[in-house]
Amino acid sequence: MMILWKLFIASLKMYSRQREALIWNILLPLFMIVLFAFVDFGGLGKIELGVVNQSGEYWLLDSLKHVQTLSIVEGTREEELKFLKLGDRDVVLVIPPESSGARLGELSLFTNDGKPQEGQLAALIIQRVCDDVVLKSIDEKSRIHVRVEHVQSRNLTYIDRLIPGILAMSIMQTGIFGVAFGFVGLKKRGILRRLWVTPINPNDFIIAQVATRLIVLVIQIVIMIGCGILFFDLHFVGSFLDLFLVGILGGIVFLAIGFAISGISKSEDQVAPIANLITLPMILLGGVFFSRSSLPGIVHTITDVFPLTYLADGLRTIAIDGATLGDVVPQLAGLLVWSIISIILAVKMFRWE
Amino acid sequence: MTIGSTPILKVQHLSKRYGHLLAVNDVSFEVVTGEIFGILGPNGAGKTSTLEMIETIRPVDGGEIMLDGLDVRKKPQEVKRRIGVQLQSSSFFDKLNLVELLDLFAALYDRSVEPMVLLDEVELQEKAKSMVSELSGGQKQRFSIAAALVNDPKVLFLDEPTTGLDPQARRHLWGVIRKIRNEGKTIVLTTHYMEEAEELCDRVAIMDSGRIIASAPPQELVKQLLSQGFTKGRVERLANLEDVFLSMTGHSLRDE
Repeated sequence: MMILWKLFIASLKMYSRQREALIWNILLPLFMIVLFAFVDFGGLGKIELGVVNQSGEYWLLDSLKHVQTLSIVEGTREEELKFLKLGDRDVVLVIPPESSGARLGELSLFTNDGKPQEGQLAALIIQRVCDDVVLKSIDEKSRIHVRVEHVQSRNLTYIDRLIPGILAMSIMQTGIFGVAFGFVGLKKRGILRRLWVTPINPNDFIIAQVATRLIVLVIQIVIMIGCGILFFDLHFVGSFLDLFLVGILGGIVFLAIGFAISGISKSEDQVAPIANLITLPMILLGGVFFSRSSLPGIVHTITDVFPLTYLADGLRTIAIDGATLGDVVPQLAGLLVWSIISIILAVKMFRWE
Repeated sequence: MTIGSTPILKVQHLSKRYGHLLAVNDVSFEVVTGEIFGILGPNGAGKTSTLEMIETIRPVDGGEIMLDGLDVRKKPQEVKRRIGVQLQSSSFFDKLNLVELLDLFAALYDRSVEPMVLLDEVELQEKAKSMVSELSGGQKQRFSIAAALVNDPKVLFLDEPTTGLDPQARRHLWGVIRKIRNEGKTIVLTTHYMEEAEELCDRVAIMDSGRIIASAPPQELVKQLLSQGFTKGRVERLANLEDVFLSMTGHSLRDE
């Protein structure tokens, strides 16, 4: 027991002195959050409307400027049509010269074929604003009013989805890359051989290594969720304890995969391609950066059972939906099955020499 | 401490096979308490394989090894507690300093040591807080010996301890090795430097192609060769051990 404790302390000490580990496991994920926070996905909902106002009237333009969905730019007919072709405008509205007062001539709306939704919406809005003028002459009482009530709601942002996803991803990287590179290095440099001439119990060594990485994982969760709350306005409503439990279960899956990879790799050069082959599809399709809802049927079904999907979904529902462990039973079950599979693989494939 | 007469290590008919290659072929020798025993031979002669089987980290294919009365095959854990090992190309964790490494290695034997005393033994006190990567070649080898002493072993195995060192560092290490022997340890080392064997070893065994082809004190081997009528082309000394070695193993270079 004392030996195990000493190994664990030594292993923690070594880990904390590795600058690369700090960069890969903590700083890089944080940097990715910052990077994606700057890509303002909320702003994509605006319609770029080019207005060519050939009349002397401004009331239509002024009314349109009050519509928040529209981002309005004025220009000449040629310029605006050119921008539309280039894709810089979604819609171009032309107000003809023969307009005067409330009476406008026939308005022309040029829409971008590649953006049918924006075109339709812009047409509806413009029609509605013009109709308003006509409707004003009708008796007020015969009109149907829509009363809008504002409700304070907890609007989840892209960042809210992103942070737990990045957290899951970095837990995976710490497990797979950390262990696989670490052990292959220890093997190649003869450090393991030197240990085997002592009466060490190999299991003690493995346990100390795993325990160290689980500690790192807990630190990753605290730092990333903490930074999310402090700097990125993360709507965190979950329990840290539940996050730790799901994170550790996920960590065990990926640590075991890391041990399996280190078993079949003779040098660090062999680790990278194998580890990337396993992790890249999961990062791209496991719902870390983008929702999986847009994936086509069969791909969606495959990504359903990715260990990273289970981990990311589990962490996400706990962190931003306030789910309890009872609510994430499917994810826990998925991770449990994966941990059994990957531990069996690790035991079969791991080699000391 | 004087050299005793009781063998602390007895190797009998030891063999190791890698595929078709018989790397160690029916090797037998004894090492007595308190001596420095050298195993000499060109690269690929089977020195390291022999040593690693004794050190319990390579499976024995045939024969028997008894260390301090223990069968190495049956009691590897007991044997590990009685030996200290410096491997040919072993390195140490690179994020722990020398004191921390010695503490950790002692802990693996369920012991505690005074790291500074061990470092003093190999003249590395001033490097106590350094990492292994910051040491010179000679210092690394000396540290490696200190790490092999954490369990106060009865037998110390050194695999090519001076390979790659400059003459000064080599002679310094000889001093350290002698000092450790004088404190009561038995030392088994491999080398392919003949003047090292002549200078340091009480007895040597010469290995070639997996076999031991001669075993005696260095001076005796030289005498034997001279008695066969050996003379040097241009004589400064009548002959040295290097002549014995080369006459027995041939002059051609061997690949690793």
